[in-house]
Amino acid sequence: MADTPTIVLSMPASLQYRDLAVRCVTSACHLIGQSADDVANRDASRLELQRTFDAAFISAFSEIFNNIAIHAYERTGEGGVKLELTPYADHLVLEISDNGKPFDLSSVPAPELESLPEGGMGIHIARACLDELDYKPGPPNRWRLTKYLREEGEE
Amino acid sequence: MALTFSTIDDDANELVLKLGGQLDALSASELLPTIDKIIAEKRKLIVVELSDLELIDSSGVAAIVALYKRSRAVGSKLKVVGARDQPLAIFKLLRMDKVFNMA
Repeated sequence: MADTPTIVLSMPASLQYRDLAVRCVTSACHLIGQSADDVANRDASRLELQRTFDAAFISAFSEIFNNIAIHAYERTGEGGVKLELTPYADHLVLEISDNGKPFDLSSVPAPELESLPEGGMGIHIARACLDELDYKPGPPNRWRLTKYLREEGEE
Repeated sequence: MALTFSTIDDDANELVLKLGGQLDALSASELLPTIDKIIAEKRKLIVVELSDLELIDSSGVAAIVALYKRSRAVGSKLKVVGARDQPLAIFKLLRMDKVFNMA
């Protein structure tokens, strides 16, 4: 991949659109460092690695999208969200911007998993599934999700 | 992909709740009436079958945690079976695979 194209997608910040966004993000996961020939010749271990990557990235993205729709826009469905996906040679970056209520990422505590919480797990899931999760309050608020395609423990 | 769910109650002591598609912030509330009905029946064992579940988020996990807590409160046991791929990864991440006796 000579260039690093960025895929841009805008949609209403409503949970009704999350599935559409998940499909686009899943497709972008498959563009990391791959030519068309590479895609055709993937071996089983690479496919498993990709499957694990997809699951983790989609889990993280889903939680951030939920956060924007439910908390930043308070489930009104009003306002929009913009996704900018950049598949690099060995990692994927997704920047998400919204104009909803700002959020203090640093104030979110880790959930007490032993007590089987029924809430407060979303940011924990996103952090655990990504290599980096950054947030800058706006407007526009900007999330940045980064994950490398590599085996666990590999640097 | 929408949430699909059905119950199988061939056994007087056991009830199977089969979930498919996506259990998430959009769909989890659809399960509430069914959960109320399951709890009211006070079966000895509730089995949540997830082999057709494609995606779960924290709201979906919360729905299953709520079912687990309510089932225990009425003396029922609950186990979760069949989870794979993304849903299984999420249950393991949240260390709930052991709580729910997931094989």
